[in-house]
Amino acid sequence: MISINWGTMLIQIVVFLVLLLLVSKYAIRPLIATIKQRQDYIDNQINTAEKGRQEAEGLLEEQKSLLKQAQLEAKALIERAKIQKDKEAEKIIQEAKEQADRLIQEAKLEIEREREKAITALRDEVGTLTVQLASKLLEKELDAKGQAKLVDRYFEQVGRLQ
Amino acid sequence: MELTPKIEAFGTKFDLTIIFGSVLTAIIVLILAIAATRRLQMRPGKLQAGIEMLLDLSRNLTRMGHDDKKAEKYLGFSFTLFLFLLVANQLGVILMVTSGADTNIPALGITPEIMHEQNAHGVAWLKSPTADMSVTFAMSIGVAVGAIIISMWINGVGGYIKGRYLVGPMALLHIFEGVINPITHGMRIWANIFAGEILIGIMLQAGWAASIPLAAWMGFSLFVGVMQAYVFTVLANVYMGEKINLAH
Repeated sequence: MISINWGTMLIQIVVFLVLLLLVSKYAIRPLIATIKQRQDYIDNQINTAEKGRQEAEGLLEEQKSLLKQAQLEAKALIERAKIQKDKEAEKIIQEAKEQADRLIQEAKLEIEREREKAITALRDEVGTLTVQLASKLLEKELDAKGQAKLVDRYFEQVGRLQ
Repeated sequence: MELTPKIEAFGTKFDLTIIFGSVLTAIIVLILAIAATRRLQMRPGKLQAGIEMLLDLSRNLTRMGHDDKKAEKYLGFSFTLFLFLLVANQLGVILMVTSGADTNIPALGITPEIMHEQNAHGVAWLKSPTADMSVTFAMSIGVAVGAIIISMWINGVGGYIKGRYLVGPMALLHIFEGVINPITHGMRIWANIFAGEILIGIMLQAGWAASIPLAAWMGFSLFVGVMQAYVFTVLANVYMGEKINLAH
């Protein structure tokens, strides 16, 4: 009430100090330790997440660059293949043309040769026949008797030829 | 106003109601604090979340008197003080135990004659310890003396006197504060809680007719109890901070 007793005051201070000691030791200290532990855990988790994110970003970047490189390579490959194909096609056509020309040339030569051969053969035949004819005529002039034989032989020859 | 049982010894009086109230408050606080901090988990349950909020509040209170780093050392003090005063202030509002004017226990200084002499109309067996000046002044003077002791421990006796009282004209203010602060500090909480209990006592005597204003006043008293516990704790930290954290 409206009076101060030193005894009550003293006991109040003792009670409070004991309470302070007990609460600090058995409640506050473990509570703060737990909060600290949680704080550390959260910090750790955030750090791990951050690291993981950075790693993922790095990997993504790497993948992107690899993909780009692969695309470029594929493009170059296609380009090269296209050029190669054009070249090859041209070469094939060229070869085919050359072969065709050669064949034509050969055929022409063959024809020429055959024609020449035929002409030569004909010419020889005509010459032989002319000589024979001439000799036959000369033979007849010389020998009247033999003329009949000659004509006969002639006809015989013609008949054989046919 | 009620009488309280007292024992006289060593040339002073021990107020049993107040001492019992104080011890009961301390036990309630201790049980509350320990119950809430059993089985502490990384993921707090409701009780643990509540006590952690209270700890946060205490931290904010403490930081009003000390810088953030030093505040951690006085966290337990703020927490215990706030909780103790909170429970003590509500004790009389929720659990007021009195007996009639004819109680006669001469050994505890309670007789109808003394009651008549002091114009008391009953005996209080349980009420808020903070409704007693002895308790509040014990706390406020304890804070002041404790702060001086801690300051001397940290700064040295010379360092304390030099930092506090050899600072030019400001020293006068510090001397003045040294006397006035513990008085106002203890008086403020006592007056609020004491007034609350007096009015509750009067309304209780008025019977059921006063039940509605009584309920309203009890609600207000609960609020005042929280407010005063908060204010006392803040001021305790501010006063301690002024004495301990001297400007060099």
